[in-house]
Amino acid sequence: MSAVATATASPLTRRHNPKRELWLAWWTLVVFYNFFFLVFFVITRVQPPPNPAWDTPRVVQWFHDNHFGLLAGFAIMFVITGMTTMSNALIAYSMRRMSVSRAFAYSYLILYSLSAIPGMLLMCIALTVGALRPDRDPELIYWIYDFAFLSFVGTMGVFLIGSLVWMLAILIDKNRVFPKWFGYLNLCNGLTEIVVSPAWIFRGGVLAWNGQIAWWLDMVVFGIYTGVFIFLLRQMIQREDFGAGPLPELSKAAR
Amino acid sequence: MTTVTENTDKPAKFVPGQPDMWAFVLFETLVFTAYFGFYLFYRTQNPELFLHSQAQLDLRIGVFNTLILLLSSWSVARCVQSARVGAYGPALKDAFLTAFFGLVFLCSKVFEWARQIQMGNGFGSNDFFTYYFFLTGIHFVHLLIGFVVLGVAIYQLRSPVRRSQELVETCATYWHTVDFLWVLIFALLYVVR
Repeated sequence: MSAVATATASPLTRRHNPKRELWLAWWTLVVFYNFFFLVFFVITRVQPPPNPAWDTPRVVQWFHDNHFGLLAGFAIMFVITGMTTMSNALIAYSMRRMSVSRAFAYSYLILYSLSAIPGMLLMCIALTVGALRPDRDPELIYWIYDFAFLSFVGTMGVFLIGSLVWMLAILIDKNRVFPKWFGYLNLCNGLTEIVVSPAWIFRGGVLAWNGQIAWWLDMVVFGIYTGVFIFLLRQMIQREDFGAGPLPELSKAAR
Repeated sequence: MTTVTENTDKPAKFVPGQPDMWAFVLFETLVFTAYFGFYLFYRTQNPELFLHSQAQLDLRIGVFNTLILLLSSWSVARCVQSARVGAYGPALKDAFLTAFFGLVFLCSKVFEWARQIQMGNGFGSNDFFTYYFFLTGIHFVHLLIGFVVLGVAIYQLRSPVRRSQELVETCATYWHTVDFLWVLIFALLYVVR
């Protein structure tokens, strides 16, 4: 533990397990992403996304085929959406532990709290509406289908600024909370979020919302990025000494 | 940020600049390799369309773009060399020269896009032009970031209290990556038939 930390030991460090809340936030993050995968890829089958070029009868059929999955899956999402606050809070905590202005953590919290609306909730609400109102005009169901997937895939750019804020904080941080390469990985992830934007224009090909570049490749990058940041947040908690100086290396840190 | 004095205590490194930047280089190269792979796959599906569309690109503009970016690579390399021997004045001039070449590239790219759109070749015209605008567009975004990166290098070089050689070399590594990616894009879009 650093000298600064020892001299200004907070009530938190005198507790039996001062990292309890951090671990709670980390496990909440892990549980959320597991549920996210299960709901979006298995229960509702909205990922990988269905074809954007389908005609109205095929879209209505898709809602019919996935009726139960959409209702059950998104019911789970509505219950667990609040878990994202713990995940965002942990990432904001990582920035508060850095030698950078608090503005980074606050900006990230605000950006990611707002991003959840177009980036996830709109889709859940729209597809739930479509599943619960199968008797409505097929053209309206078709409109809901477009709205849901375009709001989900086409607005990934809202996460871009959050990624850049985290990147900048990591690159100018002197407390070595995260390795610099992870800062650059944030940039790689941010760039793929730009690549998604042509999904608004194309209904087929590599840049459509189910395209090889706009969805498959970006999902691979996002998967790697998410796996890496979950792992690095775990290491950060292990290394945390509740001081204000550089985080100790893992071998020296109290587990 | 690392200072010059800190650098003297560090062991000799295998790569210029932060090794972390090389992780970025590797990752971005892999992502672009995937883009090129998709391009080549779609090309094999419709070779005649791709050949016909390629013929509408002006090879002279492509060559000009490539030469400009190679010149910018040369000037950023000179910037690193000058900074290594403590000649910060010439290093700054070379950094500004690099930015100038970058700006010329951006202007010529916008001119080329406008020309293609005037000819009726838009983003969604056909598969080739989708790839053309996508690849040159995403490269354009990388180059815009390159101006921020050059700004960091200039910020480092301007003040005697900063002047981190490691950061200057990290910035140059990024710039070279953008140039290297362009050479591949140029070869695929303009040259390979």
